[in-house]
Amino acid sequence: MISFKNVNKWFGDLHVLKDINLEVAQGEVVVVCGPSGSGKSTLIRCINRLEPIQKGELVVDSMNVHDKKTNMTKIRAEIGFVFQSFNLYPHMTALGNVTIAPMKVRKIPKEEAEKLGRDTLIRVGLGERIQSYPAQLSGGQQQRVAIARGLCMRPKIMLFDEPTSALDPEMINEVLDVMRDLAKGGMTMMVVTHEMGFAREVANRVVFMDDGQIIEVAPPNDFFTNPQSDRGKYFLKSILTH
Amino acid sequence: MWSFYFNELVNSLPFFIKGLWMTVAVSGLSLIAGTIIGFICGVIRASGNKLLKFIVGAWVDLIRGTPFLVQVFIIFFILPGIGIELEAFAAAVIALTNLAASFICEIVAGGILAVPSGQREAATASGLSAYQQLRYIILPQAMRTILPPLVGQYVLLVKDSSVVSAIGVVDITRVGWLTVQRIPEGLMVFGLVGILYFIICYPLINLSNFLERRMTVVSTRL
Repeated sequence: MISFKNVNKWFGDLHVLKDINLEVAQGEVVVVCGPSGSGKSTLIRCINRLEPIQKGELVVDSMNVHDKKTNMTKIRAEIGFVFQSFNLYPHMTALGNVTIAPMKVRKIPKEEAEKLGRDTLIRVGLGERIQSYPAQLSGGQQQRVAIARGLCMRPKIMLFDEPTSALDPEMINEVLDVMRDLAKGGMTMMVVTHEMGFAREVANRVVFMDDGQIIEVAPPNDFFTNPQSDRGKYFLKSILTH
Repeated sequence: MWSFYFNELVNSLPFFIKGLWMTVAVSGLSLIAGTIIGFICGVIRASGNKLLKFIVGAWVDLIRGTPFLVQVFIIFFILPGIGIELEAFAAAVIALTNLAASFICEIVAGGILAVPSGQREAATASGLSAYQQLRYIILPQAMRTILPPLVGQYVLLVKDSSVVSAIGVVDITRVGWLTVQRIPEGLMVFGLVGILYFIICYPLINLSNFLERRMTVVSTRL
């Protein structure tokens, strides 16, 4: 479903992704972790070309993402993206937020899009807040609207860039619950997160990154109990003792 | 004597009303055209195209860096030299449109750039085209920042329009000049001129203040 082949990326002189090779199968849930500045966010932002790559090949759903000829609208429509800071549209209600892209990109008629939007908001537990503006919602609720916004495009892939890092602790679980349900439903997901409990429970594989490289790829139990690399051991020690 | 001149002035009122309409016409047309051009240029100035950005930026600097009176003269007196004949009215509208557009361009660009970059990213990620992002996501949010100074700019535009009297457009100011030659009571004549400008501008000033308050309330709600 997602395939990185020798992907390299630079920010100016800074080499932020170094020879990334990674395959993500359909229905797989991959958690990406690693210290800050290791390139995790950049890695998943390349998948829908929020960031360009300079070398290598990145194929999503048999479409080459970084080929100039590729229709990016088509790829982006297939990929839901959830940001750390929600990035909801403040001038639109929850329903407006989740229906704008289905109507304008997928060209779904308004009534149908609103029905889809309502159903999706109900699915993430926000049936009561359909007409609320983002500023009237808690952080956890906003992030669930953001997930619903991605889901309303009926994507094949959902990408999450630290979806719970900006949330108060008591709101983290309501967001993780939605993500658990999605994973159980067979959604292909890549999740940048420090929620190791979530990773253990839901992920098929954990990708550990440091300094722009993939250091380890392993099933969560193997990685958490017996990391192979020193950097992996050090990272786990530092997050588990905090 | 004073009451004689005052009666004369009252008799001249229809002439002043004509001037008022001329001012409204010149400013109104320039306001509409300037807003459209200003928005287009503002969008360009806030976009990624380096060449277009440079061209628009240079034009804005040029217009802001030269006196408006000189711009009016250039358009009215120099363009005929290269074969473009303009009536005073057309020259006035072109000059004023040009001035308004350059200021509005800066206001619009500022408003667009004030929208957090995450908004554009979210819109991009959901597959909206550049135009759709602008239309549905960026501009509606930017309008909160743009509207109050935009209306403020309209007030300046109405006042700046007095400069076009210099090329013979018979606007309120010009009517004042012509009248004061018959009625040599400068204070009285130009007092009336000032009042007429104020009648146009005062509602706009109030509108600008109202929008400023309203936008502040809206942005605290959001």
